[in-house]
Amino acid sequence: MRVSDKMNYNQSMAAINKNRTDLMTYQNQAATQKRINKPSDDPLGAARILTSKTEIQGFEQYKRNILSAKESVEVSEQSLSQASELLIRAKELAIDQADDAANGPESRRITAAEVKQIYEQMVNVANRRYGDHYLFAGHKTLNAPFDMTGTYFGDDSEVQVEIEKNSYMNTNIPGSTVFLGRKIADDIPPAKVFKDGNTKVEARAPDSVETSLAAQGPSQIQNRQTIANSRQGAWGDHSVNIFETLKDLEVGLRANDKSVVQNSLETLDSAISQINRARGELGSRISALNTGLETLQKLGIDERVKQSEIEDVDMYDLVNNLSKTQTQLEASLATSGKMMKTTLLDFIK
Amino acid sequence: MNSQNALHTISHNIANKNTEGYSRQQTETFTNFPYGAGKTRIGTGARTASVQRVNNAYMERQLAEEKSNLGFMKGQANSLMRLEQVYNEEAVEGINASMVKFFNSFRELSTSPESVPKRIAVKESADLLARDFNKVAQQLHDIRGDANQQMAITVKDINSNTQEIASLNSQIQKIEVGGGYANDERDRRDQLIKELGEKIDIKWTEGEDSTVTIQTGGNAILVAGNDASRLAAVPMPGTEGKAEGDFDIMYYHHEYAEPLAITERINGGSLGGLIKVRDHDVREFQDKMNFLASEISNSVNDVHSQGYNTFNQTGVNLFDPISEKDGAENMKVSAEVMGDVGRIAAGLDPNAPGDNRVANMISDIQNEKKFVDGTTSLDEYYNGIVAEMGLRTEKANHMLETQQGVVTQLENLRESYSGVNIDQEVANMVEWQKQFDASARIIRTADEMLDTVINLRRY
Repeated sequence: MRVSDKMNYNQSMAAINKNRTDLMTYQNQAATQKRINKPSDDPLGAARILTSKTEIQGFEQYKRNILSAKESVEVSEQSLSQASELLIRAKELAIDQADDAANGPESRRITAAEVKQIYEQMVNVANRRYGDHYLFAGHKTLNAPFDMTGTYFGDDSEVQVEIEKNSYMNTNIPGSTVFLGRKIADDIPPAKVFKDGNTKVEARAPDSVETSLAAQGPSQIQNRQTIANSRQGAWGDHSVNIFETLKDLEVGLRANDKSVVQNSLETLDSAISQINRARGELGSRISALNTGLETLQKLGIDERVKQSEIEDVDMYDLVNNLSKTQTQLEASLATSGKMMKTTLLDFIK
Repeated sequence: MNSQNALHTISHNIANKNTEGYSRQQTETFTNFPYGAGKTRIGTGARTASVQRVNNAYMERQLAEEKSNLGFMKGQANSLMRLEQVYNEEAVEGINASMVKFFNSFRELSTSPESVPKRIAVKESADLLARDFNKVAQQLHDIRGDANQQMAITVKDINSNTQEIASLNSQIQKIEVGGGYANDERDRRDQLIKELGEKIDIKWTEGEDSTVTIQTGGNAILVAGNDASRLAAVPMPGTEGKAEGDFDIMYYHHEYAEPLAITERINGGSLGGLIKVRDHDVREFQDKMNFLASEISNSVNDVHSQGYNTFNQTGVNLFDPISEKDGAENMKVSAEVMGDVGRIAAGLDPNAPGDNRVANMISDIQNEKKFVDGTTSLDEYYNGIVAEMGLRTEKANHMLETQQGVVTQLENLRESYSGVNIDQEVANMVEWQKQFDASARIIRTADEMLDTVINLRRY
């Protein structure tokens, strides 16, 4: 083949250019430690990385949600444990005063005063705040849910926090349930629907926002099933209005009415178990939240590993490629230098 | 005389060794007519018959065609690489990141809807998301603008090329009508045709009169004989399917003729690549971003406006309503919410500051598979755009590389045939020098012989 000088030159330049381009790519990879520096380096990988990033950010957010849910559940649980102690004290007092042996109207009046105090403390517990909101007020968290007469100003709603993709956890127990013993399922109106009759919403997608919407009645969302089930038993037949119970006891004591005091023993028992069941439920939520947290931690690590596998450069390969390209470049430079220099002119005369 | 002609040609070759598109030239000699008769016809030496370039027209045509493809791919790949940068979230955080932040801010709000700082975080993340969409819309818009500017510059180059080709046409015609060879002019014209082809797709034919006729965009004649027609890039008013201010390529058959828009008919060269990216790729991605922006705004609004805010108002939008047509550039957090974060609705019931159901529903939108017939979520839709962008750029780059290889191969073939090789030229030079030396020696010998004859008398 006839080789013109320009061919020589072009070929040398093409080789050198290619080597330099490769070197630059590898250098960039070494500097960023990333295999993918723009979408076209690996389009599907780049999209996968974005998914990973979204997931990881989501995990972080769910972790924060869990921590905040845990705090409010824990504070609720502590408050209820205090309530339970108060009720036990009331029961002790009631047992003391249930027979006539050592008790007269006088001692009953004194006890009545103490029960009144217990009642007031109970109202305080029920009005417990966490941060800026009342724990036992349902959704009406900025106003005290109970007044001194034991009237409830909150609502029966439950607050749900997303703790995993599309999975929610209740973070409160409405005061109406735990203190007034109202059975949720009975007196809550059916799930609230959008004002436009829900049609538009339902038409769009059958099972995400709308489901949770339709299920916004507090007890139906799927992942809360276990909790909901246990609740059915918990607030079952013996639900008690704790404030009324205490009030009755106080009134009975004041009136020196032994039978009322005796009757209150049973309701106090129910009240204690009502509170304890609520505590049990909160406790199981806490442990569920802890498990959730651990799972998220693990998922987060897994996702990071996946992302790194796609995105990060393999240092062995990189160093290998780098030195290979370096050698190639040197070779092209050396040969080009030699080739371009020699012509026939060097050999005549 | 012959040696001198040959040496001139050699020096011309060497001087043009690096001239783009130059074909080496060769002198052809042939013997002079002999004198004498019968068995003693005596040769009278040689004379230069012609100086001709060594050139293969078929090869040139092939090279020009492939170069035209290369131009197209270059124009396409360069624009796509710029477009790709808009979606490069490896380097900086983009829409994916701000979308995640936006939905997470609602998750955060759901943990305590009473909190003002968390409401502010929601407002900020919504604002960031809207601004990111605005930014991308602006960048896409700029890329179109740049494409327009480049088109205008390319058109200028095209016009200067066609004019030069037209004037070369007339020169070549003049030279060759007398039977000469317009070597250098033809080289230049071939080169210009190649350059022109890199910019715009052309068809060309050489006529009997040695002039080339060049057509583009189907049947718009750019060069005929020694006339060149002008192209112009003209901003158009926004018409059907075209953004306002986009340039159209207008063809002026002659100065006073009604110009003809041939934008859609240009399918090759860098101009074709630019037009394709501008009218096809950029437009498509603009549409997608507008769709995504309007879907986010509208589906968030759908839910948000059903909720109640801290002022017990309902029906408040989080984003200003936008349409699928120009959503990305107009996406904006509503003035109500910008004015007071208390107007962010978190709950589904009035008078319920602890109600977080709307916040939950809004954060659910992120994973809701509601696009493309309910198969894709917002996240997936956007990630799909990024992947699509990457794939197109990758493909364009790959095609460019392959085409570059084809062109290099053809250029080598052409160079192998028509290129200048110093060794060869030097060898030729030595050959001609030897011949010259020998001729000179003959003259000297003849001179000496004559001398001898003249001096015969003295002895």
